[in-house]
Amino acid sequence: MKEITVRVSRFDPATDTAPHFETYTVRVNDGARVLHALHAIHDEHDPTLVYRYCCGSGQCGSCAVRIDGEPGLACMEEARDGMTVEPLALPVQKDLAVDMEPVLKRIARIRPADDAVLPSQEEIEAIKPLRDCIECLSCVSACPALQVTDFAGPTVLRQQMRLALDPRDTQNRIDEAIEKGLFYCTTCKRCVQVCPKDIEIPGKAIEKLREIANRRGLTLPRHQEVAKLVEETGRSVARTEPTFLEQVPEVIEPEGEVRGEVGFFVGCMFNGRVPQTALDAMEVMKRNGIRVIVPHDQVCCGSPLIRTGQTSFINDLKQKNIDAFTRRGIDTVMTICAGCGATLKNDYETPFVVKDISEVLTEYGIEPPAKLDITATYHDPCHLLRGQGISKEPRELLRQVVREFREMPTQCCGAGGGVRSGVPEEAAALGAKRDEEVRKTGADVVTTICPFCEFHIADCTDVPVKNLATLLLEGYRKKDAERSDE
Amino acid sequence: MSCNYFMIVYNAQTNKMLASEIVDCHVLVIGSGGAGVRAAIEASRYGDVALVSKSIAGKGGCTTMAEGGYNAVLREADSCTIHREDTLRGGAYLNDPALVDALVTEAPERMADLIRWGAVFDVTGERKIAQRPFGGQRFPRTCYAGDRTGHEIMATLMERLDATGAEVLNEYAVIDLLTEGGRVTGAAALDTRGDLVLLQADSTVLATGGGTQVYDISTNSAAGTGDGFALGYRAGAELIDMEMVQFHPTGAVYPYDARGRLVTEAVRGEGGFLLNTRGERFMERYDPERLELSTRDVVARAIATEILEGRGTDQGGVYLDVTHLAPGEIETRLPVMLEQFLAFGVDIRKEPMVVAPTAHHIMGGLAITPECRTTLPGLFACGEVTGGVHGANRLGGNALADTQVFGKRAGEAAGKAPKREKKIDPEQVETLKGMLDAYLAGSANPAAVRRELKIAMWNGAGIFRTADELGGALATIDRLAGLPLRAASPQNLIECCTVRNMCTTASLVVRSALLRPENRGAHVRKDVTTSWEPAASLYGHTRISLQGARIEQREGTA
Repeated sequence: MKEITVRVSRFDPATDTAPHFETYTVRVNDGARVLHALHAIHDEHDPTLVYRYCCGSGQCGSCAVRIDGEPGLACMEEARDGMTVEPLALPVQKDLAVDMEPVLKRIARIRPADDAVLPSQEEIEAIKPLRDCIECLSCVSACPALQVTDFAGPTVLRQQMRLALDPRDTQNRIDEAIEKGLFYCTTCKRCVQVCPKDIEIPGKAIEKLREIANRRGLTLPRHQEVAKLVEETGRSVARTEPTFLEQVPEVIEPEGEVRGEVGFFVGCMFNGRVPQTALDAMEVMKRNGIRVIVPHDQVCCGSPLIRTGQTSFINDLKQKNIDAFTRRGIDTVMTICAGCGATLKNDYETPFVVKDISEVLTEYGIEPPAKLDITATYHDPCHLLRGQGISKEPRELLRQVVREFREMPTQCCGAGGGVRSGVPEEAAALGAKRDEEVRKTGADVVTTICPFCEFHIADCTDVPVKNLATLLLEGYRKKDAERSDE
Repeated sequence: MSCNYFMIVYNAQTNKMLASEIVDCHVLVIGSGGAGVRAAIEASRYGDVALVSKSIAGKGGCTTMAEGGYNAVLREADSCTIHREDTLRGGAYLNDPALVDALVTEAPERMADLIRWGAVFDVTGERKIAQRPFGGQRFPRTCYAGDRTGHEIMATLMERLDATGAEVLNEYAVIDLLTEGGRVTGAAALDTRGDLVLLQADSTVLATGGGTQVYDISTNSAAGTGDGFALGYRAGAELIDMEMVQFHPTGAVYPYDARGRLVTEAVRGEGGFLLNTRGERFMERYDPERLELSTRDVVARAIATEILEGRGTDQGGVYLDVTHLAPGEIETRLPVMLEQFLAFGVDIRKEPMVVAPTAHHIMGGLAITPECRTTLPGLFACGEVTGGVHGANRLGGNALADTQVFGKRAGEAAGKAPKREKKIDPEQVETLKGMLDAYLAGSANPAAVRRELKIAMWNGAGIFRTADELGGALATIDRLAGLPLRAASPQNLIECCTVRNMCTTASLVVRSALLRPENRGAHVRKDVTTSWEPAASLYGHTRISLQGARIEQREGTA
């Protein structure tokens, strides 16, 4: 037995105006789950504590709560000393019990044909990954789109795809999915992160539903324009000024000793819209002894098309990009765009390794820059944090170049998944939430590694937004200036 | 179709009959597991149906936790005759043969219903429902959806239920059946606030599932508190074979607070080995022919014996090992097991699980006819709350089939029953109100009573039993049942009613166990010797009701 202290949110709508925390010290056995700590509170301290539970083994989805802010199943998450337990972000009935029924009611039910027969093995195998859902509503609690739109919720869309895949079903699940907010999902993958069953809702449901919608001509007009541009030019951004690729040679040699070599995948945003940031990144590579090879025949990675379900010519893009790098014998490809990086890592099967710039710089180790006299915060791009599992490296690099680093809570900025172009009011609402958090930190600058986030957050806040590479370069310039002063 | 609501609710704290609800329907189904929902679906073809669930329907009960599978004869090489024989033999010939006939002949039809309604079962390359071997069966006839078969069935049933007009009352706990002149006329329930709600029906279907939560170590969900056994018993129904409690051989031992969590038989079905700390595949000594796939009673006793004789692990279990299987096979066939053990720090692809027996299923229950009529007019029952289908030991995979076959039968019989003039007995309502008031004024912590009860049952009425130990357990149960339970607030009234039901169910198990002086199936008395084969036993069912308790004696056998 061990003793742990737990903070639990208590709320009785009949008597309280707002929830408050109560702290309990309970004895539980080694390996006890959050649920067992709640039982101990209920049995030994306060029998009026209300919380829902049933199977105790992660199969019924009754007991999801937020543990230190993260949704999870009380019966499966280990109880920690000092933890905080709150209800899911749904209307609270009492204490930790929330009203699940309104969401459960929006989950569509199959309407099989009268002569429905057993699906084939292939059809069953396609459905199965979407069928593990225990409807615990963790994803609904965590989804940022739900905070600002009437998006029905990740699991509701999961079920639309599950039904669309079932030959026995008779209903039009695509039109329903659109009504339920198919285009509201930013593909931030927060739902995957909190799902106790690891269901890949954005990749296996949202994007697939968008593909079917696309085949039926239901893609949003703004997204269709992007696809047309990519098809005609190989780029998702129209040329308005000299591009990055027009400004650099195929091989960028470093200053001094060559410590390494990477291929560079620039991405449409950095190539066409903000080439200066990519040029800054090249300076940082040069400074750190890394040779950069830039195949000029690379094209759009296809991310804006995959995220919006426009995949008819995606294989051409993939092949062109893979060929561009393999032809030059490149075994490591570096990205500086979180979206391109996640796409190359997750949607491609590449014969080469793909690394984000923050991984490359961390692996080689960088020359210490001078510290800029500013306070910075960092926005985790969804496609870097959850798409590539990268969070530590950018923070470590950032700490080396600014006087002070301040954290802010992680949340999608609203730019991804075609939402910035397709549903601008949602993107703006999520962006405004970022602005609030940015301002709370009091930082002089917001740093990030994704051009979409960078662009979008810049639209939503007055605090300057800068790419990490640009900050590093500024640090080197300051260092050089200080040296020449001496 | 929808039920009528009249307003009349009793609030115990204010002692007022407020504008409370009386739900009035043709068929009332109590319980939202596989049997209850199947019954509601069927009954809705005949009239308005209300399904009352202690949890959120679809999330409660044990069906959704059932992992391994559903037995049905689907192949030419198999036959209902063999399934029948396997079931009777596994049940030590205590089963009611007419119920077994219904089970084996209709299990395939009910499986076809599930497939027609959208169930996602594993399918072979030849587009047939895949089947795996399970213990005690001569043919691999267990259909499955990975190791989340029950969850799949529940999801399918909830989708189907949604397409009917059945009214679902979530989070209402039935605390007693309503009776009028010996006929069941509905039920009294508490909502989450602790307000009393009366539910009236022409027919009532009891589908409350099992009750092994009366044991310290149990696989059951929190809802498995034996409410239905207690409700039926108090209303005057007869129950049979309540001593027959299945201890599943393989429950998890860690973490301690989640001990008893089911480790599916599918682990052994897919080829898992049981090993003691000496590395011996000990089933060779207990059932050299069937080994790990012997019947559950045999495997559970073997594991318990290994542990008792000092060949168990420090955690009090034996090893269940699948590390010789391909990792990919484990990932696709046993995903839930893999995920659960990973959450507790064990990668079953690389290291063995530690398991020990855990109270799993009550084979006994309300006596029913093949039409699911209980001994009380107006009351039907299906699923684990009934007795007779599984005899003295249930085969893995027969419980899910039971829920569907008898759920359908109960729903149909209840639905076809005539409409009646319904009356509520005011005296019964007054008695209930008195009980609720007493709980609000009580003094005994229900959590403490519950804990003591569970330990008394585990120690006194477990895998190995003696009259002495059973007598000791009964004395404890009687004492606990007499304590003045305390509800800290009206919302805690349900807990008091649940503990009351647990005491009743525990008492039924122990009293029945004392009646059977033989070793048969899951019931093993260390203080008696049994010289006959089960098929030739002198004894039939134990029968217990408010009228008394007895064991059937057969003449001319043994």
